[in-house]
Amino acid sequence: MSHLLHVDNISVSFDGFKAINSLSFDIGSSELRAIIGPNGAGKTTFMDIVTGKTRPDSGDVFWGPKSHSLLRKSEAEIAQLGIGRKFQKPTVFEAQTVYENLLMALAKPRGPLSVLFYRQNEADNKKINTLAKQIKLDDHLDQLSGELSHGQKQWLEIGILLAQEPQLLLIDEPAAGMTSSERAVTITLLQELSRTRSVIVVEHDMEFIRQLNCRITVLHEGSVLAEGQMDFVTQHQAVIDVYLGR
Amino acid sequence: MTKLIKHTIIVQHLLRHPSILIFLGLLSLFTITIVLLSEGVGVDLVPTSFIKTLGKTLCLCMVAIAMDLVWGFCGILSLGHFAFFALGGYMIGMWLMFARTKIIVLQAAQNAPLPMSLDEVNDAVGTQIFGVVGGADIPVIWTFADIFWVQIGFVFLIPGLLAFIFGWFAFRSRVNGVYLSILTQAMTLALSLYLFQNDSGLRGNNGLSGLQNIPGLDDTPQAIISIWFFIASAVTLGLVYIVAHSIVHSKLGNILTGIRDNEDRVRFLGYNVESYKLFIFVLTACIAALAGALYYPQAGIINPAELAPVASIYLAVWVAIGGRGRLYGAIVGAAFVSLLSSYFTGGHAPDLALGLGTLRWTEWWLVLLGLSFVVVTLYAPKGMSGIVDRFVIKGNK
Repeated sequence: MSHLLHVDNISVSFDGFKAINSLSFDIGSSELRAIIGPNGAGKTTFMDIVTGKTRPDSGDVFWGPKSHSLLRKSEAEIAQLGIGRKFQKPTVFEAQTVYENLLMALAKPRGPLSVLFYRQNEADNKKINTLAKQIKLDDHLDQLSGELSHGQKQWLEIGILLAQEPQLLLIDEPAAGMTSSERAVTITLLQELSRTRSVIVVEHDMEFIRQLNCRITVLHEGSVLAEGQMDFVTQHQAVIDVYLGR
Repeated sequence: MTKLIKHTIIVQHLLRHPSILIFLGLLSLFTITIVLLSEGVGVDLVPTSFIKTLGKTLCLCMVAIAMDLVWGFCGILSLGHFAFFALGGYMIGMWLMFARTKIIVLQAAQNAPLPMSLDEVNDAVGTQIFGVVGGADIPVIWTFADIFWVQIGFVFLIPGLLAFIFGWFAFRSRVNGVYLSILTQAMTLALSLYLFQNDSGLRGNNGLSGLQNIPGLDDTPQAIISIWFFIASAVTLGLVYIVAHSIVHSKLGNILTGIRDNEDRVRFLGYNVESYKLFIFVLTACIAALAGALYYPQAGIINPAELAPVASIYLAVWVAIGGRGRLYGAIVGAAFVSLLSSYFTGGHAPDLALGLGTLRWTEWWLVLLGLSFVVVTLYAPKGMSGIVDRFVIKGNK
């Protein structure tokens, strides 16, 4: 069985607090997966480890068909391998236009000199326009991204990720602060995206996840509590205890 | 062929950004006007000392552009760029002093019965230059001081190398914000204290002097030399502006601004943020050094006090008052504040009698500057250019 991402028995603790505790996790290619869990379950730390921001105390993370370890790589190298990350708060470059935001993210050589001597061309222009259409911002290309609505910023950040042409998207709380119609658009967008690449969505909102209609991994105290479809997870005794009990 | 393409790219860039032409036009107009009014070649309305002040001010505008690139656009509040400025001055100063002293020594020896050997010449030059610090040997770092082009190379190489080594360690360790600023202050203080030592090889607290005398041009009056340096400073400022402008308006500029606004986002886009910071840090250090190399021959003297930590802080104040994140803001800030500074601290401003006591500008100017910095930070975070922007935007609406 080949996995796109294989997380093998990782643990990490901060000042004695075990944020991640012997966690293992797999995701195949073109899979949509939701990760849920109460506050402090280790969702964000998990993303930090996969994207290289945090180093685990033990365990390993493997990537791609050849299962390269990601542990020794920097954030930038991991991003270049094809893992895109969306932050919890919408993080776009507010002082720059939507067009410039997307242009920066396009999969191109990443060195300072090649960037300095980069000239805009028609092919890139086309790519940006297609992307903008996909994230419903084609009418806002020349607008400063700081002037966009909260939901539009979330989409722009997803667009920035897509421009990198990643194989795996890690998306932290995409629905936060969105109106219900924006949510519906986001759900369709994420489902569409997962046809050609893998997407991991971290979300609190159970209704949003129900509509995503995908496999769910429940995290609790730094390890996997349950994994399966929505119906399985919601009837899982341990999950019910964690969410409702105590 | 490639030359032709490059040419058209520059032309295209100029056409797309008419603001460059406006700036270059104003700069040329200013330069020509001053030259025509000068004591040296014009109608003798502007004295040579003021030509030098203006030339030096143009150099300060250049460092301000460097500071704006590194701080206003990339968000690195470096409080050490004046160290690179002064190092650039030292490098060119070494050649000026050595070459000129050598000429003097050789002239004095012309009437001697025996021609001097090379060692004797070097000894005489060494005694002349290093007598004040109790030495006669020429230090190793002066090995190439006689060769103009090597010292010109050092103007960029030495400050560039220092910036590279410093930046390599600081950025790789992800030192950010206030901690980085403190570190840059420590760097300039350490360098200054080192240069204060007599055995540093750069004449301790005496520094290098007589730099206004260009070797081989003893017969040319300062009134003329000052004009040359003034024009050279203006041309270099124009070139630096074009370079800075094309960086800011390229994709590189987008990424630098991105690093300023959200470093992590840039990093997770796959850009190696550290190498970008290092690139802009070294580049701006070289611009600062170039400015210094043009400044000190006009100032005539350089000593370790020039590297005092406060000098780099002034630089930040100029850029903040002028408006960071705007190239013309940096230039206006540096020109305006430094000219005002030299007016008030130079004893030209009449003291104000205020009933209870008199306000002496030489003492109170710094207080006033500090206050205006606070006011700008609180009420006009974009500085003077922010006010201009507001009018322009209002005009458009």
